[in-house]
Amino acid sequence: MNTSLVNRKETSKLYEKSIKLLGMNLADAKLSKAYMSVAFIALLIGGVLGLLQGLERAGLIQLPYWFNYYQVLTAHGILLVVVLTAFFTIGYFYAGLSHTLGGLLPQVRTMAWIGFWLKVVGLVIAVVPIIMNEATVMYTFYPPMAASPYFYIGLALIVVGIWLCAFGAFISVAKWRKAHPGQHIPIFAFFATGVFILLFFGSIGVTIEVFTLIAWSFGWKPTVNVLLSRTLFWSFGHTLVNIWYLTAVSAWYVVVPKIIGGRRFSDTLTRVVIILLVITNIPGGFHHQIVDPGMSQTLKFLHMFMSISIGFPSLMTAFAMFYVLEKTGRKLGGKGLLGWLKKLPWGDVRFLAPMIAMIAFIPAGAGGIAQTTNQLNQVVHNTLWVVGHFHLTVGTSVILTFFGISYWLIPYISKRRLTPRMNKVGVVQTIIWTLGMLFMSGSMHLVGLLGSPRRTSYTTYGENATALGWDPYLIFLAVGGTLLIIGVLIQVFAVFHMMFFAPKGTTEFPIAEPEVSEEKTPAWTDRWGLWIVIMLIVVSMGYVVPLVDLIVNAPPGSPPFKTW
Amino acid sequence: MKQSKYGLALLLFLAIPIVAHLLESIMIMHMHMQMPLLVISGFLMAPFFQRQFPKFFASWNENGIPGILLFTVIMVYWMIPRTMDDALTELPVEVFKFISLPFLAGIPLRDSWRKISNNSQRVTFIVFTILFYIMGFLYIKVPVQLCNNYLLIDQITLGWGYLTLAICFTTYLVYIAFIDSPKPTEVD
Ligand code: HEM
Ligand SMILES: [Cu+2]
Repeated sequence: MNTSLVNRKETSKLYEKSIKLLGMNLADAKLSKAYMSVAFIALLIGGVLGLLQGLERAGLIQLPYWFNYYQVLTAHGILLVVVLTAFFTIGYFYAGLSHTLGGLLPQVRTMAWIGFWLKVVGLVIAVVPIIMNEATVMYTFYPPMAASPYFYIGLALIVVGIWLCAFGAFISVAKWRKAHPGQHIPIFAFFATGVFILLFFGSIGVTIEVFTLIAWSFGWKPTVNVLLSRTLFWSFGHTLVNIWYLTAVSAWYVVVPKIIGGRRFSDTLTRVVIILLVITNIPGGFHHQIVDPGMSQTLKFLHMFMSISIGFPSLMTAFAMFYVLEKTGRKLGGKGLLGWLKKLPWGDVRFLAPMIAMIAFIPAGAGGIAQTTNQLNQVVHNTLWVVGHFHLTVGTSVILTFFGISYWLIPYISKRRLTPRMNKVGVVQTIIWTLGMLFMSGSMHLVGLLGSPRRTSYTTYGENATALGWDPYLIFLAVGGTLLIIGVLIQVFAVFHMMFFAPKGTTEFPIAEPEVSEEKTPAWTDRWGLWIVIMLIVVSMGYVVPLVDLIVNAPPGSPPFKTW
Repeated sequence: MKQSKYGLALLLFLAIPIVAHLLESIMIMHMHMQMPLLVISGFLMAPFFQRQFPKFFASWNENGIPGILLFTVIMVYWMIPRTMDDALTELPVEVFKFISLPFLAGIPLRDSWRKISNNSQRVTFIVFTILFYIMGFLYIKVPVQLCNNYLLIDQITLGWGYLTLAICFTTYLVYIAFIDSPKPTEVD
């Protein structure tokens, strides 16, 4: 090896060490701070809108005609399910990429900033028509309901912004691999790669849909294929769900073991779980269309199979988590069958929040498997059960994990410390959120089984007895919503306090070491190109047959309608 | 050896009449599921034959080129719409399908792939990619029904199946060319 190469390697090693000691480089920190700020402002606004909805649904208030239930619902959905999650995910993974790959490349940082502003501008362009009641189409924007074209243009800008961030991540990882031949992609960056691959490939379908809707709502294209649009939407919608899930899972595998003082689960199996989630994901989208007409039984059966197969890596995750928790608990002196549970640091919000998130995933996952079954889906489809389900999955499992992450990530990017007092605030916040969701999601599940529809403002259907029977549950829904808004306020306060006012200091980016008796991770896990191709083949297997049928045998398309 | 048993089991499973019938009832499943699975069954059985007849493979497929050519000829033959029709109506042709794909395509592929050079591997890949693009456009664009047994819509679906596969292959080729070219030793 020639000397200049050795020198280059040495200096880059030195640089990486200094990053680890001094904390994050300032420019990268600023980027993540910007993303986190938008995420938590979205939580604040979206949360307030959620409360308004909860109170209206319980019949306690009546929203005015100039800001009606469905406008609020559209904004709530977009702010929480798109803005909060996307900005958090990108801010979190970029912080982690900067940390594990030794700083972001300047051009990648620029891409992430351009992506940031594209998303912010896109968001504003999309929100204005919602406020003007020109885009009251819910966050799923199903045609033939037609929003103002600017709403779709805003969405398209958001997607392009996300793509820039995805490519920034790919460039970072590829450059790192060039500079470190023979080494494995660090586990955190491996998770980031999986997430950004899903973000990019998962959003191609919806981008095509959005472009046709732009042409259609401007009137350049008289009609649109409704079923095709729904299918393209859910190829994305479903993937998005698994993007949050994979993001949360990254913290469960990598961060939680470090916080409880243990080691992480087998490196190879962790990577296999990520690869499996990426490969099997996208065609699962059809389970959102189980009752759509125009899809054959065989097809629905095939996609039920695809959905269930995503359960497999999830079960592997559940196993891995309990393995790590028990092992660490016992190492800390826990005895007996369940004694190890007591040894875990329940008073540490960085553990408590993701732990409750994981526990919530047990009923959430079970509910999901129930819903993906055709006959059971018929019972709960479009009822409040479904809303209860996703407030448990995304509103609890994912969001509580994000909250737990914020208690070390925000101090880390702000070069401050988590004080014991702020930790207490976090613990209280977690408990309030858990109780709130227990009430709200629980009553949504129950009242859904009794038939109360989702996406419907308060009505008794002319004092109908069945509808009146829903009222007690809806009151509990409002109680839960009130607790939740307290949780939102505390959380947003905590985030901005930690960002600007907490005592200065250094906080570590917690990444657990693999187990010592670790087997060597095989090189094939790093062959992302191969996994992408297999993923594309699986996607084609899922989509070619139905899409050709939907397009070639399409009924006459639909003109735009404004139903509100 | 375990692999060879799995290969045989797969072949027998595919030959069960209802399984064969189910897979053959949809055009794209016939061509893009049953046929590749038959090739895979041969691919898995290959070690058994390589061990039983080492001399045969050494003398007839010394540098891998004859094997890869045989594989290509058999694959191309089964891409012709007419052959699928024949397999559905004539029993001997169906039997030929179940013999040719595993034994004359799957086994030679396994025996040849390691023997041929990196460049020949790439050429093979590129040839099939181009072929898939052509087949894709052909099946999508031809305005008449090519098989007696399958409808026009099945044909168009199959065409898109070819195109998407070709796109997947292209992605992979671009990936190994620019991002992650496997070192000659690490080809697996
Ligand atoms: C303050 C906390 C929250 C409250 C009080 C709340 C309340 C509600 C209510 C009452 C609905 C409407 C049900 C209907 O009529 O169909 C709803 C819908 C929804 N919520 Fe929440 N929610 C909260 C937090 C969240 C969070 C954190 C997320 C996701 C990260 C979320 C995502 C959604 C989505 C996607 C919808 C469906 C919108 C639609 O049907 O178009 N919510 N929420
Ligand atoms: Cu889904």
